[in-house]
Amino acid sequence: MSSRAAFLEPRARLTLDDYVVDLAWSSTGDSLAIAGGEGRVFGAQFTGHDLNARQLGEHVLGALAVSYQPNGRLFVSSGQDGAVFLFDEYGAKSKTLRPAAVASEHLAFAPDGKTLAIASARQLSLWSAVGELLRTYAPMPSTINALAWDKPGRDLCAATHGGLTVHRSESGANRRYNWSGTCLTAAYSPNGKFLVSGMADGAVHFWYLATGKDSQMNGYPGRVTLTTWQAASRYLATGAGNEIVVWDFGGRGPEGSRPIQLSGHTDRVECLAFAPNGGYLVSGGRDWRLSLWLPGKDRLALDAHLTDSEPSVLRWSPDGRFIAVGERKGHLSIYELLQS
Amino acid sequence: MANIDRIPVTVLTGFLGSGKTTLLNRILSEQHGKRIAVIENEFGEVGVDHQLVIGAEEELFDTNNGCICCTVRGDLIRILNQLLKRRDRFDYIMIETTGMADPGPVAQTFFTDDDLKSQFVLDAIVTVIDAKHFEQHLKEMKEPAEQVAFADVILLNKTDLVAVSALARIERRIRAINATAKIYRTQNADIPIARVLNVGAFDLQRALAIDDGFMQPQYPFEWGGIYALTRGCYALISGADNHDREHHGAHEHYDDHNHAGQAHADALGIVVLPAPAANAAALEAQIEVAVRVFAEPLGTVAFGQTVFPGLAHYGLDVSQAGAAAMLQIDAVGAYAIFCEHAPQEFNLRLQGAQLGAQQAFASHHHDQEISSVGISEAAALDPKKVNDWLSYLLQSNGQNIFRMKGVLNFKGEPRRYVFHGVHMTFDGQLERAWGASLRLSRLVFIGKNLDRRELEAGFLSCLA
Repeated sequence: MSSRAAFLEPRARLTLDDYVVDLAWSSTGDSLAIAGGEGRVFGAQFTGHDLNARQLGEHVLGALAVSYQPNGRLFVSSGQDGAVFLFDEYGAKSKTLRPAAVASEHLAFAPDGKTLAIASARQLSLWSAVGELLRTYAPMPSTINALAWDKPGRDLCAATHGGLTVHRSESGANRRYNWSGTCLTAAYSPNGKFLVSGMADGAVHFWYLATGKDSQMNGYPGRVTLTTWQAASRYLATGAGNEIVVWDFGGRGPEGSRPIQLSGHTDRVECLAFAPNGGYLVSGGRDWRLSLWLPGKDRLALDAHLTDSEPSVLRWSPDGRFIAVGERKGHLSIYELLQS
Repeated sequence: MANIDRIPVTVLTGFLGSGKTTLLNRILSEQHGKRIAVIENEFGEVGVDHQLVIGAEEELFDTNNGCICCTVRGDLIRILNQLLKRRDRFDYIMIETTGMADPGPVAQTFFTDDDLKSQFVLDAIVTVIDAKHFEQHLKEMKEPAEQVAFADVILLNKTDLVAVSALARIERRIRAINATAKIYRTQNADIPIARVLNVGAFDLQRALAIDDGFMQPQYPFEWGGIYALTRGCYALISGADNHDREHHGAHEHYDDHNHAGQAHADALGIVVLPAPAANAAALEAQIEVAVRVFAEPLGTVAFGQTVFPGLAHYGLDVSQAGAAAMLQIDAVGAYAIFCEHAPQEFNLRLQGAQLGAQQAFASHHHDQEISSVGISEAAALDPKKVNDWLSYLLQSNGQNIFRMKGVLNFKGEPRRYVFHGVHMTFDGQLERAWGASLRLSRLVFIGKNLDRRELEAGFLSCLA
């Protein structure tokens, strides 16, 4: 540890009898929705010190995703059974949607909380917060691997094999960002200038949204499944095997520059998340380690904690004060980011 | 890579109606105490309570690694990764492909994706064949031959709907395409699970199960018989009476006749040789001569022609019933007859003659453009040369080579080098020591338009 300018303080912990597949915080930061690999959907209450969870529903063949309504109290879950459950503010299942014959893998509430995007294999549909179908888009060329809204909530991006498709949610018009390869992730820079995607063939591809010009960073050891933007839009952190590779989009941009490499994990980095404000980054690895970083300032981890099993998902609370860590063996821990 | 904690995956191929779904339902409903997840090509076909069945939309991707034939199944990568997010692991995973699917991309998915490779092991490709319609499909489409070519295990299903003689013929056609697969005859896809699951066909740690029969010498004929004959004229009768069940029952348009007429281009190769006695030893002694005569071009093919014993390669017209040829015998004695295909296929018989002895031979006639080539060699190999040769071969001809497997004897290496590949994807490692066993390199290629001579020459250039 260097100066311990910042560290993660464990605040609460519980164990669920399930693999934590996905997590989502409520906008108020006092509730969490949790999707389990065996199929259970949990709701958890967090007081700052105590964490309690109860089962709210079950997807018969496994849960896949959860999404909480920004500025609201509703959340949704999806599962292998093909269903999407809508939960009300009391955690009661208020509606079951069946967007497609196949399972819905990705759920994304728009930033204003009024609409919900659901990706079901090649199909993308838009729903109201109370579960009314608003629009079904023309099927994508292949299965949607990721969904992302831009910050104003105007554009919805779907990552597929062969590129990214951006739908303007108002007009329904769309724009294709083609690239021959499989796009696994989609991430808008918060300043709206860039759209990046992690690729299956070991690269990060990005587009300048103003011009449509594109560029690529290569040399990754395998599929790039982790891409996360710093709030100030200067840094993009990506997972590259045991390392975290951070690209600097300030100044002349990342082309031709050497990335910042953050080393410390001894096995593959499985999850990665920049705080919604400030410049802190948290990573979780197959080495059962959780690390806190401040890219651009320090190449060494500011803090590290051992987990009880492989961390599978990391989510910052909307205010950036807490981070929730879900694990393969069902542990759910909440840490507080403290700066001295 | 340790196989111990990797989950075995079985890929199930076969045409619509072949019995794939019956097999799946059977496997899922049997009380075997195993947790099996099924990834099927459509929702709802398979339905057994408490079993995990996931619908997949077949989605083919090029892997962008510069290899033109490395297509993988994107949907499988995603679904299999999801399956890992479960507390209890599965004992087996079965992937059912659509009827017309090329099994290549499914298999390649397990070779090219490192994440999947660390968690799953491709156990075997199982192909279910509808015995009744297989030959017709083979004639009309390329997929059935490809599915047979890729298979490690073949269920020749619905055998109750086909005559025994036809089954033997179908099995030979399967063998001509894929010399190494295990073939099981089944009705209603009824087969012990152990023959289908956890077969270990892609498992390098198990000795490679290359059928030894395949490595035996190949002959240009499938049958030889020896007769004691007196002077006179004997009719070689084809077809006609003794109709088997297939002729009677079927209102099908592809019976024995049609098959004979089309697949063998009207000519059935035959050689008649004088022999010292009408017994098995005398028949054996004529084999070498017969092989040489079969290498000669076919003589005239005329229905009812006269055939004489000697060093002549005749072509019989067996497309119609009746006396296909007259065998003229001028001296009392024993005569050996070698026949390109088994005579039973054409109901071919020598009228009025008593069979002294007969023998069946492994034959590799290629009426299919997809076939197997096996190579066996005792001399030690140079690993670098082998590597260069295989790299060249797969780069230049990887699209045509569907499957490749082998055990190699490298000079100065006490262990066997074992490998297998699907198209251009390839996996190999040093395995068990040779010990006291014969250090024999054996490899098999299954593919389209394979040139045996070229493969053999390439292989021999790798000797140390």
